[in-house]
Amino acid sequence: MMKKKSKLETAESLAKAHFAVEPNLKHIYLIEPVDDQDPNDPIKLLEVVEGTIERGIEPIAFIADPARGIEYPSIVVEISPTEYQAIHDGKLGYHDWTIGRELLPV
Amino acid sequence: MQATDEEWARSYARQALSDLRARETLVRANAEKCHRLHFLQMAAEKACKAYLTVKNGHNNVRKSHAYVARNLPIIARQFYAVINPDRKQARRQVSEIKQLAHEIEVLAPACDDGDVRRDNSEYPWEDEKGNIYTPCEYSFPNIDDGSRAIVGLIKLIRTACESYSR
Repeated sequence: MMKKKSKLETAESLAKAHFAVEPNLKHIYLIEPVDDQDPNDPIKLLEVVEGTIERGIEPIAFIADPARGIEYPSIVVEISPTEYQAIHDGKLGYHDWTIGRELLPV
Repeated sequence: MQATDEEWARSYARQALSDLRARETLVRANAEKCHRLHFLQMAAEKACKAYLTVKNGHNNVRKSHAYVARNLPIIARQFYAVINPDRKQARRQVSEIKQLAHEIEVLAPACDDGDVRRDNSEYPWEDEKGNIYTPCEYSFPNIDDGSRAIVGLIKLIRTACESYSR
């Protein structure tokens, strides 16, 4: 039986796939906290996209899709580079969410 | 007991699927383009609301119509990135959805781009020269509703809503 991917591995794989299909996507950061013990706690990605409509932190929630290798629910928060610059101290001002490690395209 | 945001989200998704079915009925009945587009706009809006409601709360998303241009491309990115292993094709699909999403959003009368886009699928409007336009007689030249991109958009809304309506 194949070992289930960790949340970080799934986040990295999602990030890579998102970079591959969206040329205006400049950076992706993992949003913390990440609860590795709770499979229902979603992976949260902060995606910095050039040209997006600026609306602040407006999370979009996706359900898990195990058949396609996405074992956990996920959340995408899209912001513009300008909005990203305005985030000081890494706090998103939404629950206790903070900006974690950057996920790279490769 | 009050309904949860998850229940609201499932309900939006199911209603979006119903809007798509209504659109198909209108297509088969050869209804005017404005009606076909109206149901497509409503389906797109409800699909976006389904995905927004879980984390933002029903009360925060229920009133606005201006969700499609920003959020449909994000939904497209997730779905095509996961569903389509052909990256080049997936990139094209995301790009087509981005181009269409704004045009679909402004079909709602409340979304007029700051009074720049009065054309909409429901109510007559007047241009700056005083000409009145009637939706059922208007050609909506920015949207070819038989195009590959529209077929892709409908498939995306259906897939996204089916995944949420279970």
